[in-house]
Amino acid sequence: MQLNTKRLVNIALFELVRLFLTKTGLLAVAVFSICWLLVLRYGIAEAVNLLSSPDFSQFIDYIFGAAGLSKLLTWPEAELAIYWLIAVYSFPIFCLFLCTDQTVGDRQRGTLRFLSLRATRLEIILGRFVGQVLILITLLLITLLATLAMLAYREPSLFFPGLLHSFLLLGYLVVAVMPFIALMSFINTFARSARLAFVVAILFFAGGNIIIGLLAWQMPVLEVLNYIFPGYQLADLAAQDAGLMLSIGLPLIQTMLLLIFAERVFARSSL
Amino acid sequence: MSTLIKASGVTKQFGSKLALDNVSFEINKGPPVALVGPNGAGKTTLFSLMCGYTFPSSGVLMLMGQRPGNAHLFGKLTALPQDAQLDPRFSIIHQLTFYGQLQGLSKLRAKKESARVLELVGLGDAANQRPKDLSHGMRKRVTISQALIGKPQIVMLDEATAGLDPVHAREVRELISALSNEATFILSSHDLSELERLCGQVLHLDNGKLTEHSALSQSTNNQGFVTLRLSQQYDDAEKVFSSLPSVRHVHKSQAKEYVIEYVKSDEAFDIQLLQCCHLQGWHYQQLINGHTLENQIFHKG
Repeated sequence: MQLNTKRLVNIALFELVRLFLTKTGLLAVAVFSICWLLVLRYGIAEAVNLLSSPDFSQFIDYIFGAAGLSKLLTWPEAELAIYWLIAVYSFPIFCLFLCTDQTVGDRQRGTLRFLSLRATRLEIILGRFVGQVLILITLLLITLLATLAMLAYREPSLFFPGLLHSFLLLGYLVVAVMPFIALMSFINTFARSARLAFVVAILFFAGGNIIIGLLAWQMPVLEVLNYIFPGYQLADLAAQDAGLMLSIGLPLIQTMLLLIFAERVFARSSL
Repeated sequence: MSTLIKASGVTKQFGSKLALDNVSFEINKGPPVALVGPNGAGKTTLFSLMCGYTFPSSGVLMLMGQRPGNAHLFGKLTALPQDAQLDPRFSIIHQLTFYGQLQGLSKLRAKKESARVLELVGLGDAANQRPKDLSHGMRKRVTISQALIGKPQIVMLDEATAGLDPVHAREVRELISALSNEATFILSSHDLSELERLCGQVLHLDNGKLTEHSALSQSTNNQGFVTLRLSQQYDDAEKVFSSLPSVRHVHKSQAKEYVIEYVKSDEAFDIQLLQCCHLQGWHYQQLINGHTLENQIFHKG
């Protein structure tokens, strides 16, 4: 198995350029920024007002308690609590959109043929994966910094504790999205278009859940199969109830397995 | 002479279709090698196997002692795959620089190298344009330029001049000719006269089977061949040529074209033949010393 770090880094950085130096990439960033601007302004800001309002405190306690999210109410940085709740569910889904075309477009166009004469298939798969992770880290950082700015505007003394907390959240979020990116890496190795890759991903989640639900209904022990789905831990993670193994270990194992599958399929496929 | 490529019993099947049937050959370092054959003969499949884009069903293919796709070949083997395109969203220089970096050049050197290869194909001014802003012919030349980055030892060009206007096709041929001392080119094309001009060794594929030819015809010690193309059809040409003293056999290979087999003697046969044409008042277009590649491949009789 041949892996050259320099080539891998070059491929990964080229992905970053794809997002920030191409018109389509910049358009995606603009749409993303506008959506998050709306989330910050009308979602997080309003929710924080509600959370800090004594009139609604009992109601909020009830709602968060029923949803198993009571721990979030203990955070002094209310903005980060709401951000966390939105980001932990939205970023993985956003990932599926963003990472639909990791290799499939280049394969259809023949660009991969130029690339495969200069980099191993493992480097291409991993490089593209790392590139997507870097893109997601960048986008997560942007949204986190915006949330921090809101937090500092409301309560300046919370900025530094909020900053430290943000790094922790960033780490959890990055690990949470990694298996979603790896899933798209895997699907890209056999899908015939980016659109089809997205459809396959949706079918995997929707169809897979139905099938495993039916199997588990017949044999409850088969419920363990749910662990193959990226994001299985998200509900527990959102409520801050997930242990280290569930919040970090499971997504990392899923990521590793999906990347191994992706490399194996990619190494055997014709370009 | 060092062996660059060695294929032993290479077979490639796509389902029930046999694309390559037990193909064996060797390519040594040297003048360009032609890969010819009709559509669907297996040329692109053989190219794909050599580049590591696909894998043989059986047999062994080694390039410079390595399996296709091995990292040791990066930068040493480059190719223009048929119909492959650069990413339309990035500038050409950006993509070529990226390829140069992957080949181990620093960013600065890769950028200079990209500018150099673009100059070679006459597109120095288009460096900052995106592929989608270029014409088909220009895009083709850009994809040829990526195959020249660095110091490749093997350059494989699949239909390099297809879709180019005659002027640029000629420029590409001249470029290949000029660079053929630095790298061994493997060319596939339907233009046999182009390959004849450039190549020494010819690999002919038909229905997945391979035969080898020389771009120059084979003459033995005591017999030779010439191919004479007349400017128009002369009814008794075959008979007249046959009557020349050293002629052994005359074969009309196609309209206005004759392949003449003769016995070598002290007298120059080509002079005799041209004198004969002059006496008959016939005009000729071309006299080729030996068989044309086209005749070798398609008119074996």
